[in-house]
Amino acid sequence: MISFRLDGRSVVPPYLQIVQQVRQALRMGVLDLGDKLPTVREVVAATAVNPNTVLKAYRDLERDGLVEPRAGQGTFVVGRPAGPPPGTHSRLARSLAHWVRGAREAGLDDESIESLLRITLRAAAEEETA
Amino acid sequence: MASSAQAAIRTSGLSKRYRKVTALSEATISVPEGRISALIGPNGAGKTTLLRLLAGLARPTGGDVAVLGARPGQDPAFLAGIGFLAQEIPLYQRFTAEDHLGIGAHLNSRWDGDSARRRLDGLSIPLGQKVGTLSGGQRAQLALALTLAKRPRLLLLDEPVAALDPLARRQFLAHLAEAVADGGLTVVLSSHLVADLERTCDHLILLAASQVQLCGDIDTVLAEHQVLVGPRKDTTAIERDHTLVHAVRTARQVTLLIRRGGPVVDPAFEASDVGLEELVLGYMGQHASPAPARLTMIGEEQ
Amino acid sequence: MTWLVWRQHRNQAYFAAAALALLAVALLVTGRDMASQYHSALASCAASHSCGNLGDSLILGSTPLTLLVGFTVVVPCLLGVFWGGPLVARELETGTSQFAWLQGVSRRRWLTAQVGWVLLAAAAWGGAVSGLVTWWSSPQNALKHQNFQPGQFDIQGIVPIGYALFAVALGIAAGALIRRTLPAMAVTLGVFTLLRLVIGQDFRSHYLTPLTSTFSFLHPPAVPKGSYWLVSSGVVGPHGQVPGVSSHGGPGISFGGVHLPIGHLPSACQALVFQGPARFGSCLAAQGYRAVINYQPAGRYWAFQGIETGIFVLLAAALIAVTAIVVIRRDA
Repeated sequence: MISFRLDGRSVVPPYLQIVQQVRQALRMGVLDLGDKLPTVREVVAATAVNPNTVLKAYRDLERDGLVEPRAGQGTFVVGRPAGPPPGTHSRLARSLAHWVRGAREAGLDDESIESLLRITLRAAAEEETA
Repeated sequence: MASSAQAAIRTSGLSKRYRKVTALSEATISVPEGRISALIGPNGAGKTTLLRLLAGLARPTGGDVAVLGARPGQDPAFLAGIGFLAQEIPLYQRFTAEDHLGIGAHLNSRWDGDSARRRLDGLSIPLGQKVGTLSGGQRAQLALALTLAKRPRLLLLDEPVAALDPLARRQFLAHLAEAVADGGLTVVLSSHLVADLERTCDHLILLAASQVQLCGDIDTVLAEHQVLVGPRKDTTAIERDHTLVHAVRTARQVTLLIRRGGPVVDPAFEASDVGLEELVLGYMGQHASPAPARLTMIGEEQ
Repeated sequence: MTWLVWRQHRNQAYFAAAALALLAVALLVTGRDMASQYHSALASCAASHSCGNLGDSLILGSTPLTLLVGFTVVVPCLLGVFWGGPLVARELETGTSQFAWLQGVSRRRWLTAQVGWVLLAAAAWGGAVSGLVTWWSSPQNALKHQNFQPGQFDIQGIVPIGYALFAVALGIAAGALIRRTLPAMAVTLGVFTLLRLVIGQDFRSHYLTPLTSTFSFLHPPAVPKGSYWLVSSGVVGPHGQVPGVSSHGGPGISFGGVHLPIGHLPSACQALVFQGPARFGSCLAAQGYRAVINYQPAGRYWAFQGIETGIFVLLAAALIAVTAIVVIRRDA
């Protein structure tokens, strides 16, 4: 079963963190179709987060068609987020690791790599909208 | 979120004056059922006074207050519906936890001692030891367990986590949130620790200078505010269209915390969302002396 | 609530029970001895028709014992200070009122149970001590007829119950008003002592108008029978003037077991003081002076006990009413 980690310092609101963690778990294959999500009470007991926050996150996931509540039993995974199949991530992760090794050898530190990534993403976004 | 028809708490112009001091002035608030509300404010702002008025421990000198639909009183029906935890965690020092459970069982019509016992066992709090010999964290957990065992519909907590270490704080808030998740419980919780409140609370009452500055769902309140950063210039137009909460002015830059009265159209200002801590500090800074703001601008000319 | 009251006060109850038990043992043992001493002395003097002087010749008990019994006059005060003072004050001082008064009982019910049981216990303890002391004192009372006098009056009969109720009510009220335990205990001690002194010394003699008897110095006086209370004594002159009538003390002459202060007696007779009461007495009589006493007859003993108990019970009731108002209306 998935457990949630909430970062109090993040700019992302708690409910969105839960949504993102569920989606990420689905992408990575940690959660699969038919798995049961922790109950609101269990999440609250583990993280001390407001119950409404968890409810809101689960409602968002339900609206996106990823989960479905079943009366008296809990909330179950019924769909995966749109995107490449789970294997894609591991393939891309390997080629990224290779690129990072090359960047490090070239002398870039983590901050420069992140900066480079942000600029590249922005440029790509602008290209798409152009 | 759907709004409840019945508010757990509703006050109008609530005031409390002692001979020369006004502890609370014209407080008008509303807390819907099922919320965990954060009562925030500097020391002496009136938080304890407000909680005591809501619990019926003190009588107001002006205004109206309705708690669970009724005026706070001393009748058993009202007392059964509320739970109050004072800052000093008043328990009988020479009694054991078991004794306190006994008192609760004898005096309350609705009493769930078993869940309290299970909870205390889970936290390894010894039931046979005198309360005076327990640690601050254990006393707070015991007091919370006793208050929850009454099965109240409204819980009023006055700085219950102030003396707790981070783990104990987390356990306390988790216990609280679990009880709310079970349903039928509203909580008002006063604290200084904004990070905790941000995680566990979804409603906010902000007091400063004995007055209510803000009252509402946290998401809504945050959405109503913005931080504007821009070059130092005349801000009258902005102040006219919106409510200025707090401003920091340096030689070249001005940072404004505003409550929006509409869309912000001035392109010279960069707008960003405001977090709970920044919002709270902004409102509390309104009523503090301006000197601290200047201290942060080392090297800048005024 | 009964459970809570017992749980909160049971240590005090155990302590008081132990003290009462000790007192009971001491008084029961010595009291029986004294009673049998008295009855055998009575039997032997009846045989020789000399019982009239028994009061002067027979000594019952010992000084420490008499002191112990006399000391029981502080029992009501102790009950008031230690049982009454902290009752409400400690809850307010430590803040436990914020716990106790938010459980499912109203403050009215909480107060009724606490005050009710504590007053009951105070009356019981006061009554038990007084009962023991009264029983123990019965030979002394029969011998010396002193039980209507201040001192003995305060520790026998039913007045100690009234004192105990008042003291505890005073302690509770002081605690509710002052909201601090030690100051409340101090105020209880002070006010209780003051009131007992004022009522005992000044008011008591006026519950019913004292009777007056005058005697001629020429004959042995007909002193009132039984345990009467000598309120004051003196002499009265030929025209009814009353030179220096006072209750006790000062230079005087003992006449018929009564002390008469001399004060402004005729100079002609003053010189005869040292020539014996007979010659002094005849001189005074010749000058037209008579002895006068103001007293409460023995038959009024229980009336006085009842009146004084009633006064203190009424005061206790008033204090409880004040306490109820303060506790229910004030902020916790």
